[in-house]
Amino acid sequence: MIQFKEGYYADIRIEDRFRTTISYKAGVLEEMKTRNEKQAFLRVYDGKLWYYASVTDVDHLQKTLDGLYAAATANPDILEDPTVKRFEVNRDKLSSFADRSVRDIPLAKKQELLLSYLPILSEEPAVTLPEGKYLDRNSEFRFLSSLGADITYDYQTCGIVLSFAMAEGEKQFHGSWSNGVTRFEELRGLEETIRGSVREQADSMRNAVPVEAGKYPVVLSPEAAGVFAHESFGHKSEADFMISDETMKEEWQLGKAVGSPILSIAESGAIPGSGFVPYDDEGTKARKNYLIKNGVLAGRLHSAQTAAALDEELTGNARAIDCEFEPIVRMTTTYIEGGDLSFDELIAPIEKGYFIKTVKHGSGMSTFTIAPKVAYEIVNGKLGRPAQISVISGNVFETLGLIDGLTRDVELLSFVGGGCGKIEQYPLPVGFGGPYVRVSEMNVQ
Amino acid sequence: MEKEFIKKTEQSVTLNVTAGKIDSFREIEKTTGTVRVYENGCIGVAGCLGEPNEEELTEKAKAALAFAIPYPCCLEGPLEQEEIHDEEIIPVAEFIPTMQRFLDRLGELCPRFALTNKIGMSRTYTEYRNSLGRHLVSCGRELNISLVAQSRGSGNLFDTGFGWSGDHFDEEALLAEFKREYDAFYKPVDIEPGRYPILIEPAQLLYSYLNHFVGDLYAAGASLLNGKLGEKVFSDKLTLKADMNLHTAPNGCFFDAEGCVAPYMRPSLVENGVLKGLLTTKKTAAAYGLPNLGTAAATYDGVPDMDLPGLYAEPTAKSLKELVPGKAVLVVVAAGGDATPEGHFVTPVQMAYLMENGELVGRLPDITISGDFFDLLGKDYVGTSHDDPIEGFNFSAFVMDVEKP
Repeated sequence: MIQFKEGYYADIRIEDRFRTTISYKAGVLEEMKTRNEKQAFLRVYDGKLWYYASVTDVDHLQKTLDGLYAAATANPDILEDPTVKRFEVNRDKLSSFADRSVRDIPLAKKQELLLSYLPILSEEPAVTLPEGKYLDRNSEFRFLSSLGADITYDYQTCGIVLSFAMAEGEKQFHGSWSNGVTRFEELRGLEETIRGSVREQADSMRNAVPVEAGKYPVVLSPEAAGVFAHESFGHKSEADFMISDETMKEEWQLGKAVGSPILSIAESGAIPGSGFVPYDDEGTKARKNYLIKNGVLAGRLHSAQTAAALDEELTGNARAIDCEFEPIVRMTTTYIEGGDLSFDELIAPIEKGYFIKTVKHGSGMSTFTIAPKVAYEIVNGKLGRPAQISVISGNVFETLGLIDGLTRDVELLSFVGGGCGKIEQYPLPVGFGGPYVRVSEMNVQ
Repeated sequence: MEKEFIKKTEQSVTLNVTAGKIDSFREIEKTTGTVRVYENGCIGVAGCLGEPNEEELTEKAKAALAFAIPYPCCLEGPLEQEEIHDEEIIPVAEFIPTMQRFLDRLGELCPRFALTNKIGMSRTYTEYRNSLGRHLVSCGRELNISLVAQSRGSGNLFDTGFGWSGDHFDEEALLAEFKREYDAFYKPVDIEPGRYPILIEPAQLLYSYLNHFVGDLYAAGASLLNGKLGEKVFSDKLTLKADMNLHTAPNGCFFDAEGCVAPYMRPSLVENGVLKGLLTTKKTAAAYGLPNLGTAAATYDGVPDMDLPGLYAEPTAKSLKELVPGKAVLVVVAAGGDATPEGHFVTPVQMAYLMENGELVGRLPDITISGDFFDLLGKDYVGTSHDDPIEGFNFSAFVMDVEKP
């Protein structure tokens, strides 16, 4: 039983994390392991400074907590501190995966699943180095605070990641395919999807034509639209970037028009998948937050510290990658909401443009970039040949204003492996997605 | 049965800075242990968080042999070597007041900047032993200052940054350098599209080409460098190494995860334009008949994997002025670029300074830079200077196309 002291705010986050990694390269087993780690992160706040400790000795948390208390200075008014006043005091036990935990699935069954997919890569003659991984994670979290919060919940992802170097003559391509889900059984029956993806990437290697650098209409797939939403606007919505300069609040005033009237970007930790965060690492319950609604700045993402600094409500976005780090403002699942068009209607008006189907990576500051993996020409309203594109780029706000078409159907993606990076904390699992999105003009190189 | 034992302890204290004020203090100590055993062409690995019990780990590693993960047993031979760089940079008890004083002085020198992000001190201790009598101990410390600057009133979340890392704290030198950058930041200048020497940290450019240096991709014919190992493919001036030397990479380790130690602790990828090495482990090197570079990494419970710890380009000039005597572009932030499979590289540059005669002239608007793999490391490679304008600042120059978006 943890004894919290008066005169301080304190919280403790404990994670019991189970992980499996099985990997093959060129048909040879490279790695096969399970890892079970239990760690805790403790915070004490005295109204002036936060004191943090990360420990693996979770049986003696009181001793670590007392050490942090000793470094801090008691503050009789700590409960009146604006940050402390923001904290939610939730008490909940949420078990989403207890009856289908990947902890209970034998390693051999996971290996067998991965092995069932690997031969598909070698069906394509251009593949010279096939690689495959099975990854899973099941975490059990507990959060306690000096205010009385007591929350337990679990988290789970599992998935297959395939990568394949291809070479044919002078042509080369580094292909990949992955699928992240929350139930092991959902990873079955993916043969045709994988086969189709490998074929498409081989075709792109063989037949992609160089682009003539310039400005073109561009259609983003749900994957590319999700990367765009996450990189170009999601990071800008993280309020820890806004509390250093007093003028930032005016520059980023809620209600300001920042994009096309058809554009709405939302964020929620309540969506099942890799961005599932029912309670954030300060004990705040997940909720849906609009970042942009109908082209207007509608909200931003907060920890208790940033919500207090900007006098706004909590959003459930204080997250840490694990119990070595403190929570900072991070995304969960970020997505563009759908519109009213079909895919064919979306591309029909484009005489010459590009469709970005899959993405290697993206980034977003004043200028955003997306490095496509598979892309196609759009010619006279129809998809054409595969295209070789290094990057597409644009000014973030100009591009948000140039979105002029959205499909009805929205796809939200979930991942295993990789994740979002911010400052020292990488990788954090997130989700993202959206509809197919048409932008009237982007730089294509 | 052969065996390796590794113990690693990482300690860090990290301060968070918001608007020039320290608002948190974090202390972490993490010890891990690893035992790897080799038998009948297979590897068994066991690891733990916390102080390792070698006997217990050995039994677990032996049990892991049942997974039958193929791995050649070719341990390094006997060697006793220690590299201990354990001088305290700033006592932990004085870290907050020392850094707050530094931040206050920096704030006075740079009043239009709101500074955030992290300042940290770290210590890494690694011990490696194997059953052939190799025993290596590496210990290094590093101070890392990473400050994000917002120009007050710009409305931008990020305008530029001040960064430095090294094994000491020279407050006056850092303040002088950051002030120099601050002054240049508020002098907007322009540049005509064309070809210019681009000063950039080599890793920032070469990261996009890393795949082409990976041993198994090379062997699979999926590298632009196919068949060129041992051949001269780049500029005579280019010597590129992995940096495991604690003098220049103070928070690293002078040996790799498999106990390999390179001459001067810098394994060679390229020497005078000749492709000398590829990123390998002992397994991939043996599988494809490649020389082992000696830069493998491993998680505490994992099989060794290929890695590149950091890049070291041999200096060719004593100063930036000598390296690029005329006009040049110094890249501070270039995020989001990439190369096509054919090697054409493009990146937007979000923050850059114009330099002339080795001095910062002013801040450039957003530009785009581009070039091609063999040209950039060949005819367009200008050279590298070290420790200019201050110790630890190492820039390489490549002639690239500059365009405005």
